[in-house]
Amino acid sequence: MDYTQLNFSHRTEMLQAIGIDHVDALFQAIPESIRCTDGLDLMPAQSELELQRSLAEMANHNHGAHDMICFMGCGAYDHFYPALVDQLISRGEFLTAYTPYQAEASQGSLQAFFEFQTQIARLTGLDIANASLYDGATAMAEAALLATNTTRRSEVLVAETIHPEYLAVLRTVLSDLNITITVLESTDGTIAPSTVEANMSDAVACVIVQSPNIWGQIEDWEGCFSIAHQTPKTAAIAVCNPIACGMLKTPGECGADIATGEGQPLGNALNLGGPYLGLLAAKESFVRKMPGRLVGMTTDEEGRRAFCLTLQTREQHIRGAKATSNVCTNQGLMALRATMFMTTLGSDGLKVMAEQCWHKAHYLAKELCAIDGWKLKHEGEFFNEFTIVPPFDVTEFVNKAKSRGILPGVTASGRRMQGLSKGNELIVAVTEKRTKQEMDTFVEFCKEVSA
Amino acid sequence: MTTVEVTKKASRADKPTEPLIFEKQVEGQTGVDFPPLDVPKTDIPSGTVGNGISLPSFGQHDVMGHYTHLSDRNFSVDGNFYPLGSCTMKHNPRINEWAAALPGFSCLHPLQDDDTIQGALRLLYETRTMLEEIAGLHEVSLQPAAGAHGEFTALKVIKAYYADHGQSRRTVVLAADTAHGTNPASCTMCGASVQTVRTVEGQTDLEHLKEVIAHVGADNIAAFMITNPSTAGLFDVNIKEIADIIHEAGAMLYVDGANMNAMVGLIRPGDFGADAMHYNTHKTFSTPHGGGGPGSGPIAVTETLAPYLPVPQVMMADDGSFYLDRSREKTIGKVRSFIGQFGVLVRCWTYISACGPDGLKNVAETAVLNANYLAARLQDLYAMPYFNPSEGKFCAHEFVTVPRDLLDKGVTLIDIAKRMIDYGVHPPTMHWPVHDCFMVEPTETESKQALDHFVDVMRAIAEEISMDIETVQNAPLESDIARADEVGAARKPVIAFVDSE
Repeated sequence: MDYTQLNFSHRTEMLQAIGIDHVDALFQAIPESIRCTDGLDLMPAQSELELQRSLAEMANHNHGAHDMICFMGCGAYDHFYPALVDQLISRGEFLTAYTPYQAEASQGSLQAFFEFQTQIARLTGLDIANASLYDGATAMAEAALLATNTTRRSEVLVAETIHPEYLAVLRTVLSDLNITITVLESTDGTIAPSTVEANMSDAVACVIVQSPNIWGQIEDWEGCFSIAHQTPKTAAIAVCNPIACGMLKTPGECGADIATGEGQPLGNALNLGGPYLGLLAAKESFVRKMPGRLVGMTTDEEGRRAFCLTLQTREQHIRGAKATSNVCTNQGLMALRATMFMTTLGSDGLKVMAEQCWHKAHYLAKELCAIDGWKLKHEGEFFNEFTIVPPFDVTEFVNKAKSRGILPGVTASGRRMQGLSKGNELIVAVTEKRTKQEMDTFVEFCKEVSA
Repeated sequence: MTTVEVTKKASRADKPTEPLIFEKQVEGQTGVDFPPLDVPKTDIPSGTVGNGISLPSFGQHDVMGHYTHLSDRNFSVDGNFYPLGSCTMKHNPRINEWAAALPGFSCLHPLQDDDTIQGALRLLYETRTMLEEIAGLHEVSLQPAAGAHGEFTALKVIKAYYADHGQSRRTVVLAADTAHGTNPASCTMCGASVQTVRTVEGQTDLEHLKEVIAHVGADNIAAFMITNPSTAGLFDVNIKEIADIIHEAGAMLYVDGANMNAMVGLIRPGDFGADAMHYNTHKTFSTPHGGGGPGSGPIAVTETLAPYLPVPQVMMADDGSFYLDRSREKTIGKVRSFIGQFGVLVRCWTYISACGPDGLKNVAETAVLNANYLAARLQDLYAMPYFNPSEGKFCAHEFVTVPRDLLDKGVTLIDIAKRMIDYGVHPPTMHWPVHDCFMVEPTETESKQALDHFVDVMRAIAEEISMDIETVQNAPLESDIARADEVGAARKPVIAFVDSE
């Protein structure tokens, strides 16, 4: 079904109104030589019932967090979200609306995005946030551009311990802009403030540190950012996990000027990596250079509170080549899910969730380290993710685990992690969704393989 | 011909505004609970713990109420005629949503091994090959997150190709004076400069194109970014000549696929000489706009450009299994995390499979028919610079009107737009691609009844301008709010709520 709604007599009447006999007349501007006269070589149309069958069959050929015990993280997490999120988000009034350029016809979306912006600002401990970007990786690249644009400097210091895909995207985005990327080397899985110090200069636009980082380790944001701030104007950019912000020190508390991160854990499903939610928050001073859409609170002509898209002169549709970014489409629906999620939990609920992640991850780490030959790779503090080194080849171990219905974590070596490591590590994430029983099952399996 | 009585919404005075969540906060209440902790606690070092954040919460019933009230304050494709030019606000089939929500799709972790996600990879591979066929181009990358992201990615690919062939000096990109704002902005992000090519009556000015090439120097040009049909809503009659001129200069033709809805199944960009293009699945392939996103912007390129596409790429092995190839030697690298907007691509696959080849062709034909019908019915009151059926001048899937006669009576374009809101119609795109214009795109999924209703509304507003101009000047009178003070919002931006206490 192509979802058109005209019958034969409609078409006849409409052609008459235009004054033509056949619809082909409308396409006379197109030369014959470039027309697709043979038709497209695609599978024939499927009815909805057939689609339900074929889609269910394809879905059934996948295994994931719905039918396995999932300990995978590294930027995408299997968190709980309340059932009301799926219900509310499927309201057509939200789902099928466009970007709210017409304020008078879009107050619902606008108010929700304004509330989202405020929640993200509070969550990160900063003043303002935009209405979302594509994902964590592109949001971090936009944060770096925000810093280079505001400082007019051309060097970016970035921690070696950030998500390797984020670094890869940063390299792609900056590659034609005469900006140098300097990667800060880590010591035992974190960045020492002295390493930042050793690389600082007047040319540095920003220092980017992710915490918890790719290994799960909590970084010394305060130490790194206070060094960064010894050079005037250099922006401290924190890449954060929004769930961790419910409990740990926020980017703002640690001195960050800009915070960015992947918002997927806030009420969004794993979705094989997308659509996700790029978060970008900053101090007030960055407001006129922020990329992406911003919703502002204002009044209408009759004095009522009202919301509208604002500071649009930053954006591509007004400014073209001089825009602060080429971003147009954002992740509105994902932001809406996130705001519904945060409103349902509040800071109290988010704190419970974050603490459960902490306790459960530490329980599992302790149990795994009790197995002969298993040890943690790093000594530092972690939140909901840690790196474990088993006494045998990790790739084979992952395959065995899969056959027992367990996704045991992410292997740090190999191309999937952009050559993060050549070692034999497994990065293990534990969310509030994992039960003691599931963890014990995993530990028993690890003991069995170790024996 | 059916006449539809124009109905108006309830008065604004009857509708209270919805308080902010920060004003609805109830101390000690949340909308959801958690199971008790089932493992022993581990001390949390005090140095890591924050001072606590302040996110409001309240009971679940009121959470439902809040978002239900907000949803009631939105126009949408489901509830309103939404003829937003260049945005293709077509029906969003719910089978798409059903599919994307299947746990076998929505619960997959992006770093899982290929052997655990064969169904998902098959879907991606089939989407890839379907989009290759529709484009008439060699290879598609599903990575880009949206149209502008696709532009950026494709321009990177083109730059990489030239760098690899000793032609790094090709850093100028040509774009029509009616190009989408994202075109030049994407060029800037790729370190390219933009030269504007003039259009005349919505068609590329071939002479000016040649002049610009001569002026810039053929050897310096990387690409010409063109939207076809143009943003004026017209098929470019010279598209083949344009492709030849660009190729003669040694440059690439890039097609902005924003208007693909007028071409799908009828013309393939690859057949008229495109070297690269992007799709907007949220326009052409019915994935919902979601109040601003998510989109998805797959790009299609020629065999020449294919080696430079981003990684990973979904592939089919000789044994019929599917895998992600992360090792393309000449790749531009990664443009976003993981694999792409998978959930959006599930919806895209579902839509293309629902339509089939004949359905897609009917989509384009009907989209063009609907637009021409509206134009024909409105042209006596709303002047249309590029539309004149008696001279054989038709529009594609959208049309531009510059209603000069009405504006001369003392209303602004915005007045007319805001009055449309009173009639439950979302205003078309305004002041673009030319000043004082509406760009109207009805899409193929509107019924004749809905089209006729829109005609009635537009004629009613034209009559009001003659009989009762103040009503139009003061519009909207019946929407949720009166006109918002956008100037004030930009002068003193309030981007986050601050409690008054």
